[in-house]
Amino acid sequence: MRAALAGNPNSGKTTLFNAITGRVERVGNWPGVTIEKKEGRIKKSINKINEDIIVVDLPGAYSMSPFTTEENITREFVKNENPDVIINIVDATNLSRSLFFTSQLLELDIPVVIALNKSDLAKKKETVIDIEKLSEKLGCQVVETVSTRSKNNGLDNLITAIVNAKGRKQAAPFDGTGVDMTDKSAVEAMDRKRYEFVKGIVEEVEERKVSSNRQTRQDMADRILAHKWLGIPFFALVMWAVFSISQVHIGPLLADIFVGWIDGFYAWAEVLLDGVSPVLKAILLDGIIGGVGAVVGFLPLIMVLFFLLALLEDCGYMARVAVVMDRFFKRIGLSGKSIIPMIIGTGCAIPGVMAARTIKNERQRRTTVMLTPFMPCGAKLPVIALFTGVFFDEAPWAGTTMYFMAICIIVVSALVISRITGEANSRSFFIMELPEYRVPSIKRAVISMFSQARAFIIKAGTIILLSNMAVQLMQTFNWKFQLDAEGTEGTSILAAIASPFAVLLIPLGFGAWQLAAASITGFIAKENVVGTLAVVYGITNFIDLEEFVLVSGSASVAGIMGLTSVAALSYLMFNLFTPPCFAAIGAMNSEMENKKWLWGAIAFQFGMGYTVSFLTYQIGTLLTTGAPGNGFLPGLAAVAAMIACTAYLVKKGNQKAAEKLALSA
Amino acid sequence: MDCVYSRNIPIADMRVERSNKERTNLTEAEINREYIIKEVRSTDHELRNFLFTLGCYEGESVTVISVLGDNYIISIKDARYSIDLDLAEVIIIDKCN
Amino acid sequence: MANIIVSLIILGIVVAAVSKIVIEKRRGAKCIGCPYSKSEGNCSCND
Repeated sequence: MRAALAGNPNSGKTTLFNAITGRVERVGNWPGVTIEKKEGRIKKSINKINEDIIVVDLPGAYSMSPFTTEENITREFVKNENPDVIINIVDATNLSRSLFFTSQLLELDIPVVIALNKSDLAKKKETVIDIEKLSEKLGCQVVETVSTRSKNNGLDNLITAIVNAKGRKQAAPFDGTGVDMTDKSAVEAMDRKRYEFVKGIVEEVEERKVSSNRQTRQDMADRILAHKWLGIPFFALVMWAVFSISQVHIGPLLADIFVGWIDGFYAWAEVLLDGVSPVLKAILLDGIIGGVGAVVGFLPLIMVLFFLLALLEDCGYMARVAVVMDRFFKRIGLSGKSIIPMIIGTGCAIPGVMAARTIKNERQRRTTVMLTPFMPCGAKLPVIALFTGVFFDEAPWAGTTMYFMAICIIVVSALVISRITGEANSRSFFIMELPEYRVPSIKRAVISMFSQARAFIIKAGTIILLSNMAVQLMQTFNWKFQLDAEGTEGTSILAAIASPFAVLLIPLGFGAWQLAAASITGFIAKENVVGTLAVVYGITNFIDLEEFVLVSGSASVAGIMGLTSVAALSYLMFNLFTPPCFAAIGAMNSEMENKKWLWGAIAFQFGMGYTVSFLTYQIGTLLTTGAPGNGFLPGLAAVAAMIACTAYLVKKGNQKAAEKLALSA
Repeated sequence: MDCVYSRNIPIADMRVERSNKERTNLTEAEINREYIIKEVRSTDHELRNFLFTLGCYEGESVTVISVLGDNYIISIKDARYSIDLDLAEVIIIDKCN
Repeated sequence: MANIIVSLIILGIVVAAVSKIVIEKRRGAKCIGCPYSKSEGNCSCND
């Protein structure tokens, strides 16, 4: 049998879905995390009746009316796919709004079971709900649940109720059918009556001690956290703390131990491979173990970071960040909704880009898709961590700065794009429900962390492993498939491919073919930047630098790469702010549904990355040495050409906008 | 994500709505005081319907909890929403309550 | 002899990596190893 999970946004559908199916879908304590339906089987341990139940998690909806993309998905599914049972998740802290949707679900003649979720929160507020009466009034079963809890959560009762409900007739306590849906005023009058009906029920079943429209301590917190100016430094402080903990304090502590194991394994393999052909040895040791090991070495740092980000999401703070950012976003022609893809994009750009689907305005949707990949995703973290560690003395400001750089780039880009498309003059309304703050769940953060870690390891063991091996092979052989002699890597296949690109990168401060090669492999997966650097420079350990000095005999990794701090920063930004990996470009393609936009986006991202790197390197070098860096003039010419090209497009866009305004006036 | 609702309105339309401001809208509401919604003054049907599903329609009560720059934190039917200035201006409220 | 064993090990690793990618792609992952990047419009609940 199939059961559909439907309810208001942020009522906890996906949390409940994960709890009963054992899946790990993305959850967050802010509305709108789920944008597609997801299916899963109820896990055996809580399915006592042994009936095969498939649960479908649907995006949140306030009503059966198709006002938003998510509501459309939910409505279509419930209406067309005839689930055997509808599980309606009702937020116990907000009965009066939730039951509006419930009353619509009850009209479909599909048995409904109500999961009165967040009942722990309701109890804390001393709100008493008479469940029996509610069940009787609505004519369906009502089960109290607390899906965030692992025991005593009412989920087993819920499943029993689902099985019992199957095949039952569902009577509608409020019958709104038979109204002419094309008559707007009739529909409105009916919906008003529906709300009256809901109010009547709530008055009878609910007893509130605390009125919810009074200011609470949470509202006091909002005044600071979501304040128009204070909100920004506070967000910066939070991000700084996240980086400080994950990359300076706890992260490296764990990483040192972990990297020790990897090094041990490397040494053990090295002994074992004694006497084996040097080519094979190089492939296995430097290509596979060294390259993958260098990337995997960052796993502890990333796990700590994702753990902290999960805590932040769970506590309800992210919705406040969205409110703070909305002001800027609206002024630059983006939708208030655009912030959500970007927050999701901090994990991985692909689900971020997919989340942009909910933006109705086509231009805003495409612009959001184009800009979301600028947000540093999880795969870019090892790159950030590497450069922070090697060149910036593990300073937490480096990582934090990258996020704020990304936001600045997004703002500037959005401004430019809205001018190019000639739609700078449209405004939008923005409403966002603010979830209550809560103490974040350690357990959920741990689950999220391990699912990220698992994904990271899978990626390291597949794509990154193969890439590193290919890099190793291309570095070992020249075009005649002869082995490179020691010190002649410059004639290898890899060098030959990467060198032409390296020339273009001289004005950015890093004209070495090794660095160009690492950036190129970065398009397969951004972690490859770290892996490739490890392979081409023969460094297997980027974390435990003290040990590194002993092993290599060189002063530092920085010395081997031959980069100044300024050039390193420029290289880091180049890798972060040029187009994302191919998989993300694929996602951009499917969400934009327009080749002109896609190619425009890729060109724009390249131009942006190049310009930002150029400015960083040249201005930085000018400030530190008093003279501009290498290749200043050709780089300036290239950047000027790109800016001129953009200016031309903006001019054309402005004309378009003027024409539109003239037409509408 | 339906609670994050946004819609585009040509700026010309909004000017008309703004000039017509003889009654009080949410931007002039006192903080922490309950008001009754008189009207949602917008020509945008979808927006009005969406607000309706949240419980924001005439006759319902609304309270402004705080004003954070251009964003208004309001309480309707036991939930908190952040709305922007443009939206606060179209929600017309009754003062004498 | 040692060379053959090492070659086989490398070959084994490559085959394992490639087959894992193929399996994940078939399951609908857009990006191997990116959490939550699966799109499952239709049922794939046999895992």
